[in-house]
Amino acid sequence: MRGIPVPAISNADQFKQSFREEAREILVDLEAALLELNENRGDRELVGRVFRALHTIKGSGSMFGFEGLAVFTHNLENAFDEVRNGRLEVGSELIDLTLSALDQIRAMLEERDGEAEAAACAEILAKVRKLTGIAVHGAAAAKPAKAVPAAVGCRIRQWAIHFAPGPDLLLNGANPLLLFGELRQLGGLSVKASMEMIPPLAELDPERCYVSWEMVLAAPVDRDAVRDVFIFVEDSCELRIEPAAGDAGQAAEDSDAAARALGEHRAASGGRRTYDKPDAASSLRVPAAKLDQFVDLVGELVTVQARLAELAARRDDLEIAEVSEEIERLTSSLRENSMNIRMLPIRATFEKFRRLVHDLARDLGKDVELTMDGAETELDKTVIEQLGDPLMHLIRNSMDHGIEPAELRRTRGKRSTATIHLSARHSGASVLIGVSDDGGGIDAEAVRGRAIERGLVSSDAQLSEAETFALIFQPGFSTAKQITDVSGRGVGMDVVRQRVESLRGTIDVASRPGLGTGVTLRLPLTLAIIDGLLVSVADACFVLPLASTLECIELSAADIERANGKHVANVRGEIVPYIRLREHFNVRSPRPELEQIMIVESGEGRFGFAVDRVLGNCQTVIKSLGRVYRHVRAVSGATILGDGRVALILDPERLVQDALRAQLQNRSARASPPAARSVEAAAAGRRIAASC
Amino acid sequence: MAIAFEQHETGDAVVLDGAIDISSAAELKTVLLQALSSATEVRVRLDQVTYLDVTAVQLLFAAGQQARRSGGSMQILGQVPAAVLSALADAGFHSLSASVQAG
Repeated sequence: MRGIPVPAISNADQFKQSFREEAREILVDLEAALLELNENRGDRELVGRVFRALHTIKGSGSMFGFEGLAVFTHNLENAFDEVRNGRLEVGSELIDLTLSALDQIRAMLEERDGEAEAAACAEILAKVRKLTGIAVHGAAAAKPAKAVPAAVGCRIRQWAIHFAPGPDLLLNGANPLLLFGELRQLGGLSVKASMEMIPPLAELDPERCYVSWEMVLAAPVDRDAVRDVFIFVEDSCELRIEPAAGDAGQAAEDSDAAARALGEHRAASGGRRTYDKPDAASSLRVPAAKLDQFVDLVGELVTVQARLAELAARRDDLEIAEVSEEIERLTSSLRENSMNIRMLPIRATFEKFRRLVHDLARDLGKDVELTMDGAETELDKTVIEQLGDPLMHLIRNSMDHGIEPAELRRTRGKRSTATIHLSARHSGASVLIGVSDDGGGIDAEAVRGRAIERGLVSSDAQLSEAETFALIFQPGFSTAKQITDVSGRGVGMDVVRQRVESLRGTIDVASRPGLGTGVTLRLPLTLAIIDGLLVSVADACFVLPLASTLECIELSAADIERANGKHVANVRGEIVPYIRLREHFNVRSPRPELEQIMIVESGEGRFGFAVDRVLGNCQTVIKSLGRVYRHVRAVSGATILGDGRVALILDPERLVQDALRAQLQNRSARASPPAARSVEAAAAGRRIAASC
Repeated sequence: MAIAFEQHETGDAVVLDGAIDISSAAELKTVLLQALSSATEVRVRLDQVTYLDVTAVQLLFAAGQQARRSGGSMQILGQVPAAVLSALADAGFHSLSASVQAG
């Protein structure tokens, strides 16, 4: 862009960051469009979508000082321009090359200058040149030369352009003056600024653009090429591009171009993510850290509100009680609202696996399609952030071990294209995330054999199907005969287990030989606030998550006597083992005459927790216990009560596992290999607990 | 970037230095209003500017209009750098470019 000195924008970093965020979102869309194009290679709308996304990144990159990125992207844009003009066909090579280039653009957004990065750029550009036969504009070029679509053999056209930026264009970090330079690279340009809309100085909003421009461009380009210059501002400006008076031979060509432009515009408005969001006025980008801080403050408010409620009850003061109830109502709404703000649809997480499936399918020589449902299901952003790794390992495992090679699938009478299905749906206070495949299923005997071989279970262990499948999540477990780049080291599934447990979730595996495998992760909707039941043991208070609590029954001395001192309760004829928290946490004080048993549903079945008193419902903000206590498995956090005391939030699932493990170790497991104990604990747990 | 309102015996002047863009637009408006509150003649020194974006151009234009409505005028002091003039002309601000050049 000639003649415009580089602006020394003092808040350039802020704009750069904004560009990075926008570009990353565009790249996600671009990747999805490329993978879709791979499936529908003749789809011109998809080609247009890819071209426009590349152009947007190039244009705005150049505008925000990412010159190298702009030049690099420009070369890719050229390749897709060739496709657009029918001179290049969409093939696997182009798709894979562009996908690699997207990764490179992501790296360039971080502005890490390095030789390795430059070499990677050069390598990709060399491949682009080889594929398209077009000379590549190197990174040394000062500015990206404008692609001139349909320039070859095209006569000079004159275009009258009316360009009136919208009020927020400047605030979005865009600089309209830079567009003129880009237009000049297409051909001769005359520009006239209209100052008529500038209000008197006192009424003038200094950050708003009141100027509009009338231009005439004489260049061997069609209307689309002119429009492309404005592509990243067109949603926030008034733009008219008409053949100028005196422009010859416009009729037929124009009607074609107009129809095409209209078609592309329609297609684009359906799926394209433009740089300037159309709904910019109704949505706001907020840094995640600010949101976390907000939720923390709401958490503090919930705690203070609980103290006020406690105070009102203690003083028996109706006026305070009235205010307290009002504040409780407001706090509850505020808490719900703040939680909703943190909820995000899982779609973005799901969508990013399209690329993984595409790349793995290519590397493994398998034909796999990814399907999904429930992608609009929302869950807490903290949960979503931590879901990426487990899902990746599950998909890799399915692709490598679950899905059979195409030939084998055919001999089994299956479709040669395999399917991996991702699903999400709400279930009470949890969300169920599913990863299933239509592969060969898990060989339960092989799993069992491998587990015995590795000393994870004893050879005479009686394991149910679910218990057998659960073995694949043990550290170091793998039935793979060969370690591949994809999986087989037995690390991935262990990572899944650890991560899901850290999210207070559970894993369920179902598999049918020859038909496929489904893994379901049950995760809490949020990690920030929990609906719980407050219970006490002597002076100590504990919170049990309400979602896993079924009911409460009384435990009298007579009940204990009837059970011969064993830790079991008779719940309407069902024998339910229970764990006495007093003993588990070694609370040294006399037991009350009448205890309460909270019955919970755990992965091991129904269990009870014997406590002194049930104090009632509570909505508590989960506070981390910090690094020092991170190994205390049975406690998932703590909360501050209304009277200022601290209550530990219990993790029933882990509490049950710990108790079972302790029982097992106390009894007869000395003969078993140590590794077998933890696994057998689950299998034998109910039996042993019942015999206590 | 620096924007100052200098008051001298020979006359007051708004002095601009460096790149004047949207980040300094609010400040420029304040200074121009200050200059116009005390006189109908606005004097603006532009010889040290390296860049004027559209917000700066709008403000200078509006200040000039206001001065003229009050019976005064806007006067450009010093030699405006050629690069700035060229950029203004490229962006279609021909009359402004001509007027600051003449000043």
